[in-house]
Amino acid sequence: MKAIFFRESGAGYLLFALGLVSLILASVDALTNLLVPVRQNIGTLMSPAYFIAETPYQLSDQIGRVFASRDSLQKTNDELEQRLAVLAQVSQQVRSLSSENERLRALLGSQERLATEVLISEIVGVVPDPRIHQVVLDKGADAGVFVGQAVIDATGLFGQVIAVENTTSRVLLVSDVAHAVPVEVNRNGVRSIASGTGVFDELTLESVPVSTDIRENDLLVTSALGGRFPRGYPVGSVRSVVIEPGAAFAQVVLQPAAALDRTRYVLLVRELPPQVNLVAGPLDDEAAKADDAIDAQATDSGDGQASEQSDAGSQP
Amino acid sequence: MNPFDGGWFIVVSFIVAFVLTVFQLPAAAPEFLAWLRPSWVAIVLFFWVLAVPHRVGLIVAWLIGFGLDVLLDNPLGLNGFILALLTYVTWRFHERLRMWTILQQGSVLFVLLLVGEVLRGTMLVIVDGRDFPVAALLVALSSALIWPAISMLLDRLQRQVGVR
Repeated sequence: MKAIFFRESGAGYLLFALGLVSLILASVDALTNLLVPVRQNIGTLMSPAYFIAETPYQLSDQIGRVFASRDSLQKTNDELEQRLAVLAQVSQQVRSLSSENERLRALLGSQERLATEVLISEIVGVVPDPRIHQVVLDKGADAGVFVGQAVIDATGLFGQVIAVENTTSRVLLVSDVAHAVPVEVNRNGVRSIASGTGVFDELTLESVPVSTDIRENDLLVTSALGGRFPRGYPVGSVRSVVIEPGAAFAQVVLQPAAALDRTRYVLLVRELPPQVNLVAGPLDDEAAKADDAIDAQATDSGDGQASEQSDAGSQP
Repeated sequence: MNPFDGGWFIVVSFIVAFVLTVFQLPAAAPEFLAWLRPSWVAIVLFFWVLAVPHRVGLIVAWLIGFGLDVLLDNPLGLNGFILALLTYVTWRFHERLRMWTILQQGSVLFVLLLVGEVLRGTMLVIVDGRDFPVAALLVALSSALIWPAISMLLDRLQRQVGVR
């Protein structure tokens, strides 16, 4: 190596050449997607580092489990059973509500809501730069994870997959400055965009006119505009609305719904392709008739118009 | 028994550095600690360039940088250049640097990493439009402070292994 690269004069030139190549590579990487496969391969090579770094935590988990007392296990078990009972009761209602919702949507002639399936995944690493809010999950292309997939945790929207390796994937959190998600106010359907601020417990709404009906404690959910996130996952609740006199836009700060810096398990959400309806003909006719009826109503009340509009997110 | 003249130990030390780079802090740790994570790979590289400059060269340093680019989600090539720059300066003055005390070496590492972090911060501002907080420069400080410990540890281990 020395003979080739470290002659007194040669090393300087080599450094210059490497700098030039680096600059070209960085520009290509920043401006195009050409180097994505290269990143993916290097990432696959590097992913064992995450699993090794994760072992102390897994070991301490295991040890904690082995030495957990019977009483504490019994207690957690009881708590979990109670929570399960509560959630089961809620999900009973969800089933009847969703079928009711489907019928109503059919009446309105709007598209069926897509069914979703989730893949549970563990966070095995974080990007060690506090400026960049990214985590690494223990599921990758082998498990069917794809770029652009929405990631949620138990309480709300967590982020989206931005790169996949064979056994790991990278998730950009909603709080990253490079992240923005189309949202709507759950109460009245007002649409906006929630962007990250680089702080874990803060999101902002962009360009909200001062006249917009948005208040403290309003819940914002994903609106599915943009086609990346499924509809209806909570993104955050409004913490404060500040309107400066003379300003065109209100400053709206959100509290993210997901526990961005504490969660260990997250869910990868995938929308299943719409099911083929074998009896599409007659049903479509019915829906069209229902549509006509509603249109007729809408002309005098304007009600149908409004509900159509708030459904715009799920229209193709 | 010493395959590749102890080359395996150099490789292992870099693997450990990469693992430490992505090691998650416990959830209970205060948030500012994240800013103080030393640049492990750069420290290990600095050590090897001082100790065996004929084995760890510019190209090796540059290639190691690609691993960091992916782990840190920086544009490809950025860390390669930062590490190559560090290697070049260290190699250029390694005969003098070896004579210096461990604290003087630490201050050289501090300056080199400061330059590296300024480069990285500027690049992130240009490419991703991210902020460049002064806290990002603390990496250089924490790395320089931990240098004596790492240097002594690696020195002892490499003598036992017999890296040539």
